[in-house]
Amino acid sequence: MNSNENAHDPLVEQALIGFDLAAEHHIAHCEPCQTERERVEEALCRFGAANREYANRPASFWEQQAASIRAAQQASVQRSRATLALVPSVVVLLLLGFAVLGRAPGVRPVAVAPPPAQTDSDHELLVGVERAMGRRTPLALEPATLMVEESSGNEPLNSTDESKERRSHEN
Amino acid sequence: METALTSAFGAAAQKITAEEFDAIVRRHQRRVHRFLLMLLRDPEEADNLTQECFLRAYQNLSSFRGESSLETWLLRIAANLARDHARSRKASFWKRLLGLDDEAENGAAAHVPSGDASPEQVLLAREDVRAVWDVANQLSQQQRAVFLLRFVEEMELTDIADALGLQVGSVKTHLFRALQTVRGKLRDLR
Repeated sequence: MNSNENAHDPLVEQALIGFDLAAEHHIAHCEPCQTERERVEEALCRFGAANREYANRPASFWEQQAASIRAAQQASVQRSRATLALVPSVVVLLLLGFAVLGRAPGVRPVAVAPPPAQTDSDHELLVGVERAMGRRTPLALEPATLMVEESSGNEPLNSTDESKERRSHEN
Repeated sequence: METALTSAFGAAAQKITAEEFDAIVRRHQRRVHRFLLMLLRDPEEADNLTQECFLRAYQNLSSFRGESSLETWLLRIAANLARDHARSRKASFWKRLLGLDDEAENGAAAHVPSGDASPEQVLLAREDVRAVWDVANQLSQQQRAVFLLRFVEEMELTDIADALGLQVGSVKTHLFRALQTVRGKLRDLR
């Protein structure tokens, strides 16, 4: 058998998987393959029978299992019924809620307007930005500019009205 | 074998009564449980997942079109549940810790039918069963499912393909590889 087992291997497996005409034809004429097939088939039959026997349970086990499945199935049905029963109730509650809110006295839609204080501060900020843009020198550097002007006796670097005014006050 | 009840099940799936469903459970619970026990090698989990399988079947009755047999459909649900269970790291950790991997192998070997065989023959038969289980343990879960459905449940290749959502060609390939390993293992025994 060992001499030809490699050459004939696929045929034995093919015959074991299911009916295969070529494999059956070969095995019918090859004694080693026939023996090998019978050997593996026997082991597989024992394997199947032993496992079926092992998985066998007393009738009480199956009764108990069926009862557990029935209980779980009924619980599932009750859960889905409860969910279905809740849907109209929730819809009715929502509709009631909207109706009550819509009819409540004193509840009127109010147009949302920006608070006046915020509007004023925005305007002031814009004016401040415009003034800052009109200056030649940034506000923080103005004292230095004045010192340079005084020491050199030149014309004022910052010609804005504000700085002129401030210089006249200083004088 | 399909009965009037199970063939009508596909058409009027959503109208099935609790009694009809109970009858289906009683008809198929043994096979579903056995398949799960062989796949998971854990009696407690097999029991839990059998219940889960029937519950899922009940909740998804509308998806059963009657294209395959009811039993094949149930086995497909069982195979999916077993696959999800096997993916759980927690489950495999506890299984390894408690040595449940060996439980089915030894349990099945102890159930070798003796008949008129001599003690020596029974011992050899047990060795065979252990050797085949050893091979089955080394297979991927899908290959093991194919192997068990063929050689424990003795199902046809087309039914196995239906139950596991495979092509018949893939079923044959899985079986071919498994049988090659079984033959090698049995050769080593001698």
